[in-house]
Amino acid sequence: MKRNRTMMITFLTPALFSFGLVFIYPILRTLAMSFFYVRTVTDGWGKWEFVALANYQKLFASSMFIQSLKNILNIWLWGGLVVFAVALIFSILLTSGFKGKSFYRAAIYLPNVVSAVAMATMWIQYAFNSKYGLFHTLFSFLGMERLASFQWTSPDNQFLAMTLAYCFGMVGYYVLIFMAGIEKIPVDYYEAATLEGANLLKKFIHITLPLLRGVLRSSVVMWSVTSIGFFIWSMMFSPLDPDVGTITPMVYMYNLVFGRNLTPTDPQLLNAGAGAAVGVLLTGLTVIIFAMVNLLIRDRKLQY
Amino acid sequence: MTTRKFSINRQTLSRLPGYLILNFWVVFTAVLIGWILIASLSTTREIFTNTLLESGVHFSNYVQALITHNVGRYFMNSLFYTVTAGVGIIVIAAPCAYVLARFPFPGNRLIQNMFVGSLGVPQIMIILPLFYLSSLLRLTNSRGLLVLLYVCLNVPFTVFFLMSFFSTLSTSFEEAAAMDGCSPVRTFWTIMFPLAQPGIITVGIFNFIVLWNEFFIALIFANTSDLRPLAVGLYTMVQSMRYIGDWAGMFSAVVIVFVPTFLLYIFLSEKIIAGVTGGAIKE
Repeated sequence: MKRNRTMMITFLTPALFSFGLVFIYPILRTLAMSFFYVRTVTDGWGKWEFVALANYQKLFASSMFIQSLKNILNIWLWGGLVVFAVALIFSILLTSGFKGKSFYRAAIYLPNVVSAVAMATMWIQYAFNSKYGLFHTLFSFLGMERLASFQWTSPDNQFLAMTLAYCFGMVGYYVLIFMAGIEKIPVDYYEAATLEGANLLKKFIHITLPLLRGVLRSSVVMWSVTSIGFFIWSMMFSPLDPDVGTITPMVYMYNLVFGRNLTPTDPQLLNAGAGAAVGVLLTGLTVIIFAMVNLLIRDRKLQY
Repeated sequence: MTTRKFSINRQTLSRLPGYLILNFWVVFTAVLIGWILIASLSTTREIFTNTLLESGVHFSNYVQALITHNVGRYFMNSLFYTVTAGVGIIVIAAPCAYVLARFPFPGNRLIQNMFVGSLGVPQIMIILPLFYLSSLLRLTNSRGLLVLLYVCLNVPFTVFFLMSFFSTLSTSFEEAAAMDGCSPVRTFWTIMFPLAQPGIITVGIFNFIVLWNEFFIALIFANTSDLRPLAVGLYTMVQSMRYIGDWAGMFSAVVIVFVPTFLLYIFLSEKIIAGVTGGAIKE
């Protein structure tokens, strides 16, 4: 037993130490920092200036920050509805004895293994291009001139373009998760329902959806976490200056703290404390969403 | 015979819209990637005039990207970060997962919950103190720092993933080893670790893809042309495209970025898919 204890301590220590180093210590320090004015990230305790909630007030007074929250809310809600609907339809189709199931599943998931920077470059530089782009060529070929001349990457439309390209890739991840969930549901249920004369829609509403509760719940949490951390696609769609149309809280914070491109709308110079406050707000948002999802989608222990 | 034929037809018919949408989706992905491949072998002029490959195949775009645009160096950086951090994660996470999965002790549950909870923490909640700490220790802009961060940040998920593999193994292995006088540490590395190999390989591949594509941490901690991994390198290249104007070279760089994970995926898609669903769906 004593030998086991030494082993346990030596095995746990590195993992726990690394956890404390990159999670516990930073979380506590960020929390504290959000109540101080800190000019640059590299300033130590001594240079911090206590401002209570001023950082938070400043954030909520900034139209750019409010816009960034609205943007992720829109991605979360509309993007989420579309991604979940499409992924559910695909996974139901693919699990109902579809020929070439593995191939389709693998092909749909593909965008998730490719670097988001590469995917975004493909979309921006090719699919959305107004001279030689895929959509332009396709719609011109079909004679739909108005759609062909649609300016995807213009400031008015780039939020739509960004969300579309992002969601296209995300569908594959949820198809994978939903399919795994559906395949765990015993076939007998569906067979019994078919014998009773239930159609596809009825089977979906009365069997698939209730039994997929747990999977749906963790998927909603997952979708929320990735929406809150939305960063790469936004950086790719407005590479030079953060743009009202595509800015997200993480991009806002990146500019606020590592500020290479401060915008005129935010005359406030570097303030790492406000950056920390963005982090605290987003973490709070994650916790609230997690609690709400747990409350709304109860997970009863299911026995098949 | 006729009724059977009819029922098959009806089933095929009801699935036709599904087939169409799924095929459209797959063809779209193929066109997107296929066009990039062809464009990476054409000249910039041909790309803009929609006359791809008119003057033949230009492999020189790749040479241009690898050498002139520094993509070769970024590639080596990515390979170094991914492989060293990938190994480091396993070395730290596997023993921890083993202890958490097999030895009940006060605080075991708490540690597990902390690790799972950390998966939901937004990166911007932890990035500022990490930047402060690394500048305090004068570690910024070094390869070791990025590897260290990648290891520490990915340990919780890997522990969480590997626990289910260790918990299914029989205790008779350890009992037999203890009887033969084998120390618990040696028992782990020589007997238990190899037994959990399927899980370790799956999570290893999964981590490889995640690290290869990682962007945010690298953007902040390794943003000089010597240290950049591919994702950040491609980002800076796209950013400066309006000055460089070498679109053919840029598309070659895109291909270089996605080919390694793409190939890995072609050969190991079943394992990768098992890794994704195993990490997300737990009983």
